[in-house]
Amino acid sequence: MFELLVRLICNYVEVEPENIHPESRFMEDLGFTSFDFMSMLGELEDELDVEIDQKEAADIRTVQEAADYLEKLKAEE
Amino acid sequence: MLCSTIRQILVNTERQYGPEDAVRYKIGKNKIESKSYTQLKKDSESFSCVLEALGEQGSHVAVIGATSYSWLAAYFGIVNCGSVAVPLDASLPADELCELVDRADASVLVLDEIRKDVGEAVRERCPKLRHLISMQKEESGEEALSFWQLLREHEGPCAYEPDPDKLCTILFTSGTTGKSKGVMLTQRNLAENATCLDMKIPPRTVILSVLPIHHAYCLSMDILKGISLGSVICINDSLLRVAKNIKLFQPNMILMVPLMIETMAKKLEEVSGLPDSLVKRQIFGKQFHTICSGGAYLPPAMIDLFNRYGITILQGYGMTECSPVISTTVSWNIRKESVGQLLPNCEAKTVDEELWVRGSSVMLGYYKMPEETAEALEDGWLKTGDLGYADEEGFVYLTGRKKNLIITKNGENVSPEELENKIGENRLVQEILVREQEGVIEAEIFPDYDYAKKKHIRDIRAALQQILDEYNQGAPVYKRVYSLKVRETEFEKNTSRKIKRY
Repeated sequence: MFELLVRLICNYVEVEPENIHPESRFMEDLGFTSFDFMSMLGELEDELDVEIDQKEAADIRTVQEAADYLEKLKAEE
Repeated sequence: MLCSTIRQILVNTERQYGPEDAVRYKIGKNKIESKSYTQLKKDSESFSCVLEALGEQGSHVAVIGATSYSWLAAYFGIVNCGSVAVPLDASLPADELCELVDRADASVLVLDEIRKDVGEAVRERCPKLRHLISMQKEESGEEALSFWQLLREHEGPCAYEPDPDKLCTILFTSGTTGKSKGVMLTQRNLAENATCLDMKIPPRTVILSVLPIHHAYCLSMDILKGISLGSVICINDSLLRVAKNIKLFQPNMILMVPLMIETMAKKLEEVSGLPDSLVKRQIFGKQFHTICSGGAYLPPAMIDLFNRYGITILQGYGMTECSPVISTTVSWNIRKESVGQLLPNCEAKTVDEELWVRGSSVMLGYYKMPEETAEALEDGWLKTGDLGYADEEGFVYLTGRKKNLIITKNGENVSPEELENKIGENRLVQEILVREQEGVIEAEIFPDYDYAKKKHIRDIRAALQQILDEYNQGAPVYKRVYSLKVRETEFEKNTSRKIKRY
């Protein structure tokens, strides 16, 4: 999941893959805008065939939190 | 055609396009349902009858929810029978929503079940509220009435003709002092803003509505202008799914804020090795041609970039207090450095570098805020708080901002004082300044070092970050603070001991 996230993150912000860590925060560290983040999650919905709740997604801060949240959704499918 | 009431807009279009689709929305992953103009007029008139039956015709009716067909039917039903709609931001915390419902003197609340927590809270905190109507509940019960059951029980028609100059909508906007202000708009304010300019947009244009409906820009341009043109308004169900919904609804036009345009630009540039026309087709579809931009500053480079892909960006400028459009670009006369030409119902002048505007879309004032109203309006002129001017042809140029508001890239106005007061409640925060920095909201904090010592707080930065994290969790996304700067010295103050902002 982490690798998938890294690949998508690089499509939205100019950051080298090796500089993306589990504890990296999307807005503060990686320079995401809120709409970049929402759009990326929209792509992940398709890739993983899950349904993401916009309200829950708004509380995700780090790459690890995103990975955990997506793993959880995937397991519930 | 110039219309001076919102009812006129709906009645005219229904006469012309009655059985055609007015609204399209998703009812499953890829399934679309639609409602015709005749149905929208009928349902909205039934809701007018509901308000009359409840003894609430002329009352203030708050509406909380995301864009939906029920929301639209409720809104038109409210304003078309002489009542006052108060659309509120569904992403606000429940206590703030209760405060706004109460402050707007709403006696009816139409609520989307996504905020059923608000339904529970208003019962205790809003004594003036007499009726709670749920948009989703199938049957009326003790807790709430059912919107759809009420519509069945009180079917229209309703032929009431609203007075163009009566208050019809209160929209809340951030105030520079931290307390949001209720902008009072009349039927004429909104209807003429939407219909006074012929933008040569073809009838039956398919619009995808992605912005929040409680915003004047979305309400006026997507909904009122859209309906006046006989457009098909498609409802985007989530900000996560804009790209997917573009493919599903195949719109010709979308109203966006610069934040969204910048993300879409990344999407266009991400696809490499294909001709521009194919890239555009892949992301927006063959039928797509126009983006209207408003709410915040758009870098002119974006206009060139999208033009390369055959997409026209029409930039506009406005504020809720002007219903909201003041100027807009038209496709046959684009000047990239300008925020468009004044609408025909609007004149402008510059006073001490500040842009003042006057016309039929300027608000009545702020609800129950006479001092703030007197500050904003002078002899019918609205002081925009923006520095700028209009040239001889009416093209508006902005040069800076006078008012102390953060305008985020998604067009939200955020009051620094509101955030400073909230975060500053913590004892560790001695002084705080909130501002915009590189597109995000930044808090610069001078901590109380004595307090930190007394409480044995070693990592002050981490403690301050925790304060911000806690604040962020309860705040809507656009009010969150994503950057922290810690000061070692006090802020420089002016003679009245206030922190110097600039």
